[in-house]
Amino acid sequence: MTSLKKFLRLTAALLPTLGAIGSAWAVDPGTYKIGFVADRTGVVAFAGVSYAQGAQLAVEQVNAAGSLGQGAKLEIVEREGGSDVAKSIQGYNQLIADRNVIATSCCIFSNIAGALKAIALPNKVPLVFYGATMPNLPSLPFVYNVTGLPGLQEIALSKHLVEVLKPKTVAYFVLSDNDAFQARYKASREIFEASGAKTVGVVTALGADTDFTAQATEVISYKPDLIMVYVTQIPASSFIAAVRARGWTGRMATNEAVSPAAVFKKVGPALAGVPFSVGFAADVADSPAGKAFVASYNKKFGADPDVYAAQGFTAMQLIAQGMEKLSGKPTREQLADAMAKLPSIRDDVYGGVNLVNGQVETKQNLFLAWSPEGKIVRWKP
Amino acid sequence: MDNLSDLWATYRSTVAFAMVNAMFALSTYVVLSAGFLSFSTVVFGAMGGFVGAQMVIHGLPLAIVFIVSGLAGLLVSMVVAAVFLRLNSHWMALASLALVLITRVVVLNATTLTGGVNGLGIPMALPLDWLTGILVLTVLAFYALYHSWFGIASRVLREDPSVAACMGVDLRKVQFIAFGISGIVGGVGGAAMAMLLQYISPDTFFLGIAFTMIAATVLGGSYHWFGPVLGAAVYTALPSLMQFIVPSLQDVANGVFLLLIMVFLPRGLIDPRAMRLRRSAKGRSS
Amino acid sequence: MELFASQLLNGLSLGSLYGLFGIGFGLVFATLGILNAAQGCYASWAAIAALVVAERAGLPFPLIMFAGMGAAAVVAVIVDQMGFQPLRARGADMLGALITSIAFWMILDSLAGFATGQQSLSFPPQSYPGQMLLTQPVPLPAMQLIAILALVVVAIGTHLLMTRSAIGSAIRAVGWNPVSAALSGVNSRYVIMLTAALSGAISGLAGTLGGVLTSNVSFTLGQGLMLKGFAAVVVGGYSDVRGTAIAGVVLGILEVFVGQYFSASYRDAFTYSLLLVFLLVKPQGLFGKGSFVRA
Repeated sequence: MTSLKKFLRLTAALLPTLGAIGSAWAVDPGTYKIGFVADRTGVVAFAGVSYAQGAQLAVEQVNAAGSLGQGAKLEIVEREGGSDVAKSIQGYNQLIADRNVIATSCCIFSNIAGALKAIALPNKVPLVFYGATMPNLPSLPFVYNVTGLPGLQEIALSKHLVEVLKPKTVAYFVLSDNDAFQARYKASREIFEASGAKTVGVVTALGADTDFTAQATEVISYKPDLIMVYVTQIPASSFIAAVRARGWTGRMATNEAVSPAAVFKKVGPALAGVPFSVGFAADVADSPAGKAFVASYNKKFGADPDVYAAQGFTAMQLIAQGMEKLSGKPTREQLADAMAKLPSIRDDVYGGVNLVNGQVETKQNLFLAWSPEGKIVRWKP
Repeated sequence: MDNLSDLWATYRSTVAFAMVNAMFALSTYVVLSAGFLSFSTVVFGAMGGFVGAQMVIHGLPLAIVFIVSGLAGLLVSMVVAAVFLRLNSHWMALASLALVLITRVVVLNATTLTGGVNGLGIPMALPLDWLTGILVLTVLAFYALYHSWFGIASRVLREDPSVAACMGVDLRKVQFIAFGISGIVGGVGGAAMAMLLQYISPDTFFLGIAFTMIAATVLGGSYHWFGPVLGAAVYTALPSLMQFIVPSLQDVANGVFLLLIMVFLPRGLIDPRAMRLRRSAKGRSS
Repeated sequence: MELFASQLLNGLSLGSLYGLFGIGFGLVFATLGILNAAQGCYASWAAIAALVVAERAGLPFPLIMFAGMGAAAVVAVIVDQMGFQPLRARGADMLGALITSIAFWMILDSLAGFATGQQSLSFPPQSYPGQMLLTQPVPLPAMQLIAILALVVVAIGTHLLMTRSAIGSAIRAVGWNPVSAALSGVNSRYVIMLTAALSGAISGLAGTLGGVLTSNVSFTLGQGLMLKGFAAVVVGGYSDVRGTAIAGVVLGILEVFVGQYFSASYRDAFTYSLLLVFLLVKPQGLFGKGSFVRA
């Protein structure tokens, strides 16, 4: 026999074994449940619905592609948390009591995230936060956070604004009863003051407020070169609208809360040209995975995905990619260990992320703004 | 056996919340049974909650935590009683509601005690046996009170304050005692809630919990101490039951259920008067 | 100086909304003895209804306002008949009414969230007078003037209704004692429904104007108005509409100035402490007449 024939015979003999090894890297066929605490009602429902939809899309795609193996499917089991801690805790406990739930995901509010983390850890359940913005939440191997931490984006945006606009006076509009925004405002203020910009005024509001004309009037009276807006979605949109309605045409900058399309629909062209930093925006997504995400989200839900949908999507990707590394009958601990070993998330919609100790960090910081026609574009001063 | 333990694991936290809400409901009930609608349990709970949380953070033993929280609640309740009992009952409801609103502001600004806007994280989970023990103790105390001179005096007071006064009931004394009990139970309940949530903030002891406790009390029946306990259980379990309806309509289903109970049983689920009437009707017909 | 005047105007306009809402809330509290937790929902729903009319029918602004008020009146009557009337019919005390109002608050807020797609919406720019009437010496948006005028008109109108008209006497009689009012020939059931409708319409007006002024039509609109309106009722004295109106305006102005010169966190402290002081020192409010004890 020629050596070629021998080689071919050997390969042919080995092929079934290789095939067996190949299929040993897949989990047993069946349905694997992901426990999902959703916030489809309550004060942050506008974001909660997006997170849940993004997650749904991700799971559908994973199942359609068969990435977990023959006949292995993921299924999301939702419990409504309603932005309420007690309800979320009860819902979460109900989810993890079911042994078929192999991983869980939740949380927009950091206090609820903390509460559910305190349950996940002793019960050894993998938990992926899709929206909580508190730093230092992750705890390997069980707790992860795919939310791009706004703190880092804030600092990047503030530095960029210092370079490009060189403001001499800055005024701030911030919520006094929201710890996350207080922290962001302070970090940003440090950067501006370090560059020599004087703080001419700090205007405050409470999270539950609905009327911001007084605050708009006050901030305009300080005649700042730049107004930095550190509040949640409704206050941000109303405040910006009020400031422009009073005829002030000066510079403003804000945060990702104004990135969903509904905000532009509400405020209109007054919102144009106000920069913010966000990890994902449908109009500027230029990676292949990002574009595919926008297309399939549009196909399924009839609207562009916002940054919240992207985060929900990414959370499920993390779980699925951890599952891909398992075989046989996976346990929660095995999934947690597999997820902990992932260096990053493949095919992410942001154009590149790192997984650092369970925290997702986007590689690029986008400085974006709405155009007067209602599209998100890269910001040019 | 496996199914039972799974069932328990699923609903354990609901049972725990029902017990803590029962404490708050009992605290509201004792003042209500003396004739006042008052939301001040929220304030007692806030005091007990934050004081208790600080003590747990500093590693004090549980028994001390609960006793001191109860005393903290008692302190606040005595101040509230001294200031508010001069008002008539209409004002009491409004004044206590105003007090709840002020409490949030105080909590926001008293950063050393409450952590201000950042709230407090509690490093320890609430052991269920402690919670059960506390609730049982409280219930036994209420049972004893119901049959004591205080129980009778407060029932008379509620029915008709002028008649009670004519019959020699010392109104002020009964009302003060009612507030005192409310303060202790509320304070302990607050500490328990803090350990159950493992994180408290200005929004924890605010309108949401105020409405929960009043709804639980009236729903269960504000004429007997068992009413608030049952009412808290039903009210807490309601969202879990409504899970099986479309998620977005759950709150509506909650509200409808509550509405139906109140419309058909306006005096609550446990109504001693209705029971007595039924019993005597049965007695007559036999 | 211009800032002071501007903020004064902002406070006046904001306070007018509080006063308006308070008048509606106080009407139910004073005459029917019900602490209505669902009152805020009337305001939210008025804004939602007005928005739907504005978007679909393109009617002039006064008609949009009336649409909002009408919707709120209807909701108020439904809540009263389904939630409070069954309790009245059994002679149960009105504590149960508080709970049914909480139940309705849950239902109506949840439905309102549905109706707005869980978003905060705003009125189309052409549907309301959005122009500035003056820019010197002080910027005066037309909507703020409308809010202030609305309060004045409603306050005077309601006061006259309650004190000078037969209907007003009937309402007050039914509030005091429905049975004796019936004995005097008043159709209690009808009067109660009228009171509910009136209270809903007035709070609904506050909601509609608030929705336009704050560009926020959602269930959070009513919740915000509720707390401040309640404060206005207590400080102003719930038995007198004029007191509520003035108290609302004072609270609005105070809120704006404390928020500016101190900070937002002290703002609420000020408002609610004032509330508490009034409750303790002058429970009948600025204008209320004596406290009656229902023995």
